[in-house]
Amino acid sequence: MPSLLFEIGCEELPASACLEAEAQLRTLWPPDLGAARVFAGPRRLALLVGDLPEREADEWVQGPPEHLRDKAAAGFAKKRGVKIDELEVRDGFLGVVVPGRALADALPERLNAILHGLTFSKSMRWDDSGLRFARPVRWLCAKLDEETVAGFGGSSFGHRQTHEEVPVPHARDYVDSLRAANVEPDQGERLAAIRAGLAELGLAEPNERVLAEVVYLAEWPTVLEGSFDERFLSLPRRVVETAMESHQRYFPLEGNRFAFVANGGEPETVVAGNERVLEGRLEDASFTFERDAAKGIERLAEEAARITFVAGAGSFRDKVARLGALVEALGGGEPSREAARLAKADQAAELVREFPDLEGHIGAEYARLAGFPEAVCAAIDEQYLPDSAGGPLPETEAGRLLAAADKIDNLTVAFSLGQRPTGSRDPYGLRRAAIGLCRLALEAKLEIDLGALVSRAHALLVEQAAELRDDPADAVDFVEERLEGMLDVPVEFVRAARAGGVSELGAVARLAETLAAAAEGDEFERAFVAYDRANRLAGKSDGAAGEFDPKLATDEAELALVESLASASPKISAAVEAREFGSAIAAAAELRAPVDRFFDEVLVMADDAQVRANRLRLLLDVRDAVGALGDLSQIPR
Amino acid sequence: MRATVAPSYQEMIAALERYWADYGCVLMQPYHTELAAGTMNPATFLRSLGPGEWKTAYVEPVIRPTDGRYGENPFRFQHYFQYQVLLKPAPEDVLDLYFASLEAVGIDTQKHDVRLVEDDWEQPTLGAWGLGWEVWCDGMEVTQFTYFQQVGGLEVELVPAEITYGLERLAMFLQGKRTAFELEWAPGVTWGDVYRESERQWSVYNFEVAPVETLTRRFAEHEEECRNLVERELPLPAYDQVLKCSHTFNLLDARGAVSVTERAAYIGRVRTLARRVAQLYVEDLVAEPAL
Repeated sequence: MPSLLFEIGCEELPASACLEAEAQLRTLWPPDLGAARVFAGPRRLALLVGDLPEREADEWVQGPPEHLRDKAAAGFAKKRGVKIDELEVRDGFLGVVVPGRALADALPERLNAILHGLTFSKSMRWDDSGLRFARPVRWLCAKLDEETVAGFGGSSFGHRQTHEEVPVPHARDYVDSLRAANVEPDQGERLAAIRAGLAELGLAEPNERVLAEVVYLAEWPTVLEGSFDERFLSLPRRVVETAMESHQRYFPLEGNRFAFVANGGEPETVVAGNERVLEGRLEDASFTFERDAAKGIERLAEEAARITFVAGAGSFRDKVARLGALVEALGGGEPSREAARLAKADQAAELVREFPDLEGHIGAEYARLAGFPEAVCAAIDEQYLPDSAGGPLPETEAGRLLAAADKIDNLTVAFSLGQRPTGSRDPYGLRRAAIGLCRLALEAKLEIDLGALVSRAHALLVEQAAELRDDPADAVDFVEERLEGMLDVPVEFVRAARAGGVSELGAVARLAETLAAAAEGDEFERAFVAYDRANRLAGKSDGAAGEFDPKLATDEAELALVESLASASPKISAAVEAREFGSAIAAAAELRAPVDRFFDEVLVMADDAQVRANRLRLLLDVRDAVGALGDLSQIPR
Repeated sequence: MRATVAPSYQEMIAALERYWADYGCVLMQPYHTELAAGTMNPATFLRSLGPGEWKTAYVEPVIRPTDGRYGENPFRFQHYFQYQVLLKPAPEDVLDLYFASLEAVGIDTQKHDVRLVEDDWEQPTLGAWGLGWEVWCDGMEVTQFTYFQQVGGLEVELVPAEITYGLERLAMFLQGKRTAFELEWAPGVTWGDVYRESERQWSVYNFEVAPVETLTRRFAEHEEECRNLVERELPLPAYDQVLKCSHTFNLLDARGAVSVTERAAYIGRVRTLARRVAQLYVEDLVAEPAL
C-alpha cells in the first residue's frame, strides 16, 4: 500500500504552537485513510502515513425519498450530474454513489485543507497569501511514495546551520533523510535523547516544565554540561536555580554545575559561551540581591506598604493588616502574626520584580538575614503553598495559617470586587486558592471556619474604605464547591453536608464522608425517612405556625412525636457540635418510628387552621433537627 | 578559541552598516530625541504603516531611566545601543539574511549554537505588537526579531520584519567578555571608559534630581502640543511630541512619582496620542503618496 509524507516547513515555532499542532494533526487526518505518525518540531510539522488505500472510499449521496421519485428525481439527478436511471435506492431513498477519487487526485485538496485547518492561540500573517500560522510557513513537501504530490515540493530542509535542501526520494525515506541532515523529526526520540543525556549527568528527575519546552527548541539536541564560579553558591539556591531555569532553560545539577540542551555548534565553544552568559546573569542577580539585602526587610516592608495590591482594594499596607487579623482569627500566635506583617515586603524587592517566581522565598531570605526566628521566615517562605493542585503544603504551623489567610483574603477581595472567576478566566488563580484552602483543611487538618473568616476579611475591607461592589458570600460557596471534586464521595453527599450544622471546611468534608459511608445502613435509612417525610409534606406547604404551641397538640401520636423530638433534637445538635456525626445519625434515627406513627394516625391537614399550622410547624422542627446533618433531600433514594 | 581577532565595538557596527547598506537599506542616523527603543524612531514606527516598501538600518541609542544602576552593576544601564533594521515587506529569506549578517560581523554560525527562541513583542504605549524570537548565540540573547502585526493600533498593510541587535550583548559574545564595561570600543578604549561616569551621573539625575513638578507640567505641555499639531495635520512634528511624552513619563517613573493607577493612565494617554498620529500619518499617505 502507498505511503504518504506531508511536511509543513516553518520558521521556528514556539513549543506551545508545536503542541497545539501535534494534537490537531491527529484529528485533521481522517483515520479511514490509514494511521498517521505525527511529528512536531521547531521547523517542521509532518504527517507520515504508511498504509494508504489506493482510492478514497466511495460516498453515498442521499437524495429524495423513493415515493417522491416523480416529483424530485429529475432535479436531484441533474444536480449530481447523472441520468435518472443511474439513481439507486437504499433504505427507501434515492441516491447516487460518488466513486472515491484516486488518492493522487484527492491529496492536493486534502493536504491544503489540513494546512488551512490548523489553528493557533496566537497566529500571524507574514505576506499577502492570506494564510495565518504561528510563524511563517516557508516550504511544503508532500510525497506519495516516490511521486511529489501536485502543487507541493519534493524536498525538505535539514538543520538550519549545517544543512540545506534535503531531497526526499520516497515518502518512506523521510525520517532517514532528515536524520542524515542533523534533524530528528520525532519529538519522542528527541525527548528520550535529552532524558538519557541528563541521566548521564546524574539528573534523573529533570524539571518537567523546562524539559517539555526544550524538546521543541532543538532539532538535533545535544545535552551539554557547564559550571559556574563557586562564589555564586553563596547566593540562595533558589535564586541560582531561578536564574538558570526562568530565562536560560538550563537544568541545575549538584553544586556549581548545570546541564543544557544545545541544537548544534562545537561543544567546547558552546559550553564556554553559555557559562559566560550564566555567570553574567548570576552576577547581575547577586548585585540585585545585595541591593535588596542592604535595604533590609523592614524598609522593604515600608516600601511595599505604598504599593497598590489590587485596584479598589487598597495597598499592601491594607493587605498586611487583613492578613494579621486573619491569622489571629485562625488561632495563630506570635510567629504567624509577625510573618503576616512581613509577608509582602518582598513585593518591593528588585529581585521579585526581576523573577516573580521568587516571591515569598526571597522575602524569607531577607527575613533570615535580619535575624527573624526561623518559624517566621519559614512561614513567609511557605505562604503561597500549595502552588499547584497536587503541590506540597506548608510544613510549619505558622506557614499553614499564613497560607490560608492569604488565600481567604484573595478570594474575599476578588469576589467583593465582582471579579469572580469564569470558566475561561481566572486571572487571580482563585480556583487554585480554593483547592489549596480545602487541602489545608483536609490534609493539614487546619480549622477553617470559612464563612466567619470571609466576613472578617470583608469587614476589614469595608473599614479600609475599599471600593467594594459585591457580597463576598459566594466565595464560601465557591470554595465548598471544590470539595465536591476532591472528596471520594458522590457529590450529592457534599451538597447535603454543605447545608448542615457545621461551617468549618474540614467538618463539612467529614460530615459528607460520614453520610456517604452510612448511606447504606439501617440507621441512616431511618434518619433519612424521618427527614424526608417531614420535609415532603411541611417543606412545601405554606401556613406553618411560627412557633410550636404544645397546648394545641392533642393526639397521642402527636404528643409522642413531640416527646421524641424533645429528646432527639438536643442529642443531634450536641453530636453535630462535637463532630460525632455517627452519633448524630443514631439520634436522628430515633425519630423514624414516631414520625411514621404520626403520619399513620394524625391528619396533618386538619380542618382547624390553628391545629394544622401547629402540626406543620412540628414537622418543620423535625426536619430542622435532623437537618443539622445536612440537606438530606439532596441525596437520591 | 577564535582564530581571528574579535572586532572592536566600532568595527562591529561598521560591519553591520556595510552589510545592510550592501543589501540595499537606507542607512539612517540616530534620532534627535530620547527613545526607549529603536522601534520608536519614526523610520521604523511610522514607516511600518501604509503601503510603501522601505528598507532601513541605523544605530539607535536607547534611553531607559529606570534601568540605570549608577554604573555599579555592569549589566544594567540607562543608556545603551541597538542596531535596528527594518525590512518592509519582510523578504522570504529574511532569516537567512539575518544569519548572514552574523557571519559578516565574524560569527561562525556552524561553530556556535544559534537559536530562535519564541518571544512575542508588545509595546502597549505605542499600540504595537508582533510575533518573533529572541536570537540566542550560545545562550546569549543578541537580537530581537519581530514580524510586526499592528502599529499605532493599526493593522500593518505590508508585514515588516524588524531586526534589533543588542549591540553590547553582540559585542560581549564576539569579544568573549562578561560585561559591557570590559568591551573594547576602539583599540585601547573600553565601553566602560566611554560611559561609566555617564551612567553614574545620569542615574543620579534620573533617580534623584529630575524635577518632578516640572516634568509633570512638561508632560501635559507635550500632550497639548501633540494635539494641536494633529489638528494642524502635521503628523511628523506631532510624533516627536509623542516621543517626548513617553520619555518624560519614563523619567517620572524613575523618580518614583507614578503610582500603579496613574501609571496605567499615563500609558493610556501616550497610546491615545500615538494612535491619532498613526492614523493621521496613514490618511496623509493615502491623500498624497510619499515615496
